[in-house]
Amino acid sequence: MSGSTLKTKYKLKDYKSTVQPIWCPGCGNFGVLNALYRALEQLQLPPEKVAVISGIGCSSRLPGYMATYGFNGVHGRILPLATGVKMAHPDITVIGTGGDGDGFSIGIGHIPHAARRNIDMTYIVMDNEIYGLTKGQLSPTSPSGDVTKTSSYGSIDRPVEPISFMLSVGASFVARGYAGNLKHLSGLMVRAIRHKGFAFIDALSPCRTFCGLEQTKRLKAQVYYLDEESEDNPRDKREARDLITRETGFACGVIYKEVRPTYDALYREIREKAQSKGIPPIANIFQRYIPNGRGTMQNALIPENAS
Amino acid sequence: MECNDLVIGLVGSGGDGVITAGEVLVNAHASCGLYAIMLKSLGPQIRGGGSSCRVRLCENPFYSHGDRVQVLGVFNWKDFRHFKDEMLFPNSVVVIHDSDDKISEEKIPLDENIHRMTYRIPLAKLAKEKAGTTLAKNMVMLGAVAELFGLPQEEIRHTIQNRFAKKSKEVVNSNLAGFSAGSTYTRHHLKKIDNLTLKYTSSTPKVVMDGNTAIAYGALYAGCMFYAGYPITPSSEIMEWMSRELPRYGGTMIQAEDELAAIGMIIGASFAGEKAMTATSGPGFALMTEQLGLASTAELPIVIVDVQRGGPSTGIPTKTEQSDLQQALFGTHGDANRVVIAPADVADCFDVAIEAFYIAEKYQIPVIILSDQYIGQRIESFPPDMFLNRENGFRKRNKREQASEGELQDFKRFRITETGVSPLTCPGVKGGMYQAAGIEHDEYGLPSSDVEIHARMNEKRFKKNKYIAEELNFVRFYGPEDAAVGVIGWGSSKGAIEEAVLRLNDEGYPVSAVIPQILFPFAQKKMEQYLQPLKTIIIAELSYAGQFFKYLKGFMRFGDRKLKPYARSGGAPFSVEEIYETIREEF
Repeated sequence: MSGSTLKTKYKLKDYKSTVQPIWCPGCGNFGVLNALYRALEQLQLPPEKVAVISGIGCSSRLPGYMATYGFNGVHGRILPLATGVKMAHPDITVIGTGGDGDGFSIGIGHIPHAARRNIDMTYIVMDNEIYGLTKGQLSPTSPSGDVTKTSSYGSIDRPVEPISFMLSVGASFVARGYAGNLKHLSGLMVRAIRHKGFAFIDALSPCRTFCGLEQTKRLKAQVYYLDEESEDNPRDKREARDLITRETGFACGVIYKEVRPTYDALYREIREKAQSKGIPPIANIFQRYIPNGRGTMQNALIPENAS
Repeated sequence: MECNDLVIGLVGSGGDGVITAGEVLVNAHASCGLYAIMLKSLGPQIRGGGSSCRVRLCENPFYSHGDRVQVLGVFNWKDFRHFKDEMLFPNSVVVIHDSDDKISEEKIPLDENIHRMTYRIPLAKLAKEKAGTTLAKNMVMLGAVAELFGLPQEEIRHTIQNRFAKKSKEVVNSNLAGFSAGSTYTRHHLKKIDNLTLKYTSSTPKVVMDGNTAIAYGALYAGCMFYAGYPITPSSEIMEWMSRELPRYGGTMIQAEDELAAIGMIIGASFAGEKAMTATSGPGFALMTEQLGLASTAELPIVIVDVQRGGPSTGIPTKTEQSDLQQALFGTHGDANRVVIAPADVADCFDVAIEAFYIAEKYQIPVIILSDQYIGQRIESFPPDMFLNRENGFRKRNKREQASEGELQDFKRFRITETGVSPLTCPGVKGGMYQAAGIEHDEYGLPSSDVEIHARMNEKRFKKNKYIAEELNFVRFYGPEDAAVGVIGWGSSKGAIEEAVLRLNDEGYPVSAVIPQILFPFAQKKMEQYLQPLKTIIIAELSYAGQFFKYLKGFMRFGDRKLKPYARSGGAPFSVEEIYETIREEF
């Protein structure tokens, strides 16, 4: 399936760094990492043209295990970093990888903007419903009632629902996967990376250490797979919302997809518009600020948008 | 009596065209080659509210806005009360107001010991009659002022024409008619009772710019191709300029959702290989401090402009201060290295912006430009020479140095080198893959909590300062080198300090002044050299808590010299007088 019969330039090992992951045995992130290696191999992307951006958390260690470019930033700021990389260098494939805390707690403010702008990137959240790196605090996706180190008597927070949230803020590709199903998750990643626009994958990734075997079993039991649908517009937004509202488990697959211009494509048009007004040499710009009072086109300090 | 240095203040309501009138004056005189400056001040309301400006005109160079307003033009007295505290007056002042404003000379709300010479003109009536609208009041006032003080009327007319050229012919003509009405009325109906006449000789037109524009232009000139920012007074003009210009040259400008995103985006863009900048003020910078540490640790070049305003917290957004110094020098947790540089006037903003990018790119370090509202939002005229022949004697725009082929074999992104600067790559470069991170790392960039490695990496990051300070230690120095009394200031304080020092030396009081441009790493050796002959040192700054004074005391060896801090809250920029008096006390 991964093209082993074809002569491919890039092999799986070309995407792996030599660093051993710090994750615990049974961590779902191993599945996500391996799915990503496979997806990149399938897409045959040159490693130097891929940038993996993360924040802080167990899942944010992921870039270190890739032989691509990577940026392990600060907590919650994956999307601004990713936006900067993509808008400065649009031919780079930008992949954001982080956890549910990084993404839906401290980082949630950036999601609506990256999504509504349709920044052409893939954002993979390794959702384990807990804060792993800091050893077991409540997460915005922790189920209500969960007892954690910071919800000693049970969580009274209603959790964020990542898929609903992404649908509301205008993400153009919304999917859910499960770390325990490598092949399916890898397929989602391939489609997400191929998607021109902001592609989100909620990758359910159990934390054996802080949520125990119960969580792994629960997730496995609750995960179900949506029918293989056609590549274009599997369902419209209302249907997608209905699906999520109605679900009693975790629907996996591409839940929603639309095609609309990416931010960098729109900005290219802006550049064209700006350039149609003429491009004076930068060294000559100062001349515009010399009032010569002689009534020629050398106008001084006329507000640029004076009507 | 001829004076070659005139300060005019105008006050009115929003909509009276006060700022436009001031801009016309500055541009008209700049086109005659005069030095001109305008400060503007607005009431707190966004629309309506009060509006005032002050303009100084002189054929010779000057360095501050002029301490006292000699000519006061008032459109209505209610607004004047709001701006009264911002204006100082000499012993006698010319007052021009609408004759339909039935206020008696004694009732004019100035200090009672100020002698007023009043001219009353039917501003609104003339505007309506001759220009067709009361909106042309400001032009009538300009006409009167031009006629009374011998200002260049032809040039003012041309400037009015250019100013409204983008609007309809009717608007241009109406404004011109207003101006003519004012000057004609004055010529025929008013008897000159004051003795001020502006004396000047025309010369080549000068550039007119505000500090924010100069910084934005300097950045573009230096090769900045990515800007992300968030609106905040008094820096928004920088982003607005970039919004118009950057895409024209193939760059990208994004208004981010907040300052956290703004600095994140420029770090990402820098990582991707572009020269990137953001601009903000105190409160926005506070939000950026976390990621400042990230840029410092990941050793990525970025430029952050802080156009300082009254603080702390929301403070006074529309007025100046120099109280972000500590935040720029030390803001963020940990020992995070950075460079701090401060422009001294509008023209300097252009140079400093280019310098900032040069340093950031060469040394792979965040550079903070500490401007302030006084420089950022004032317009002033200066000779265009600095824009010409830049390759001689000025730093060329540097291209970011990429790692060589040899360095890419076993690539160590954070290799410990002689200067502390390591080979750099960016996404797209084959064989240059690495992880940028805020987490402590080894030479390869791999996360490390090893104590030894941490010590070596800190040493590496700070090692750069020795080379930065050696290469870039520009300091402005005024007065005789052997003076025993001296002043130290920074940033926009330079203006008042320079004028005060020049004046005192003219009067026979030897005093020197030094204004460092790079505040960190500090040119300590050079500064100590300058301070050698001094017995008394005055440290002037617009910071109630004396941030600069505390900073200097930290590492300058003052010995048993007399130190006289002159640290006050901002709001009003330094007047030449207050600096003059402070120094004069020492004689």
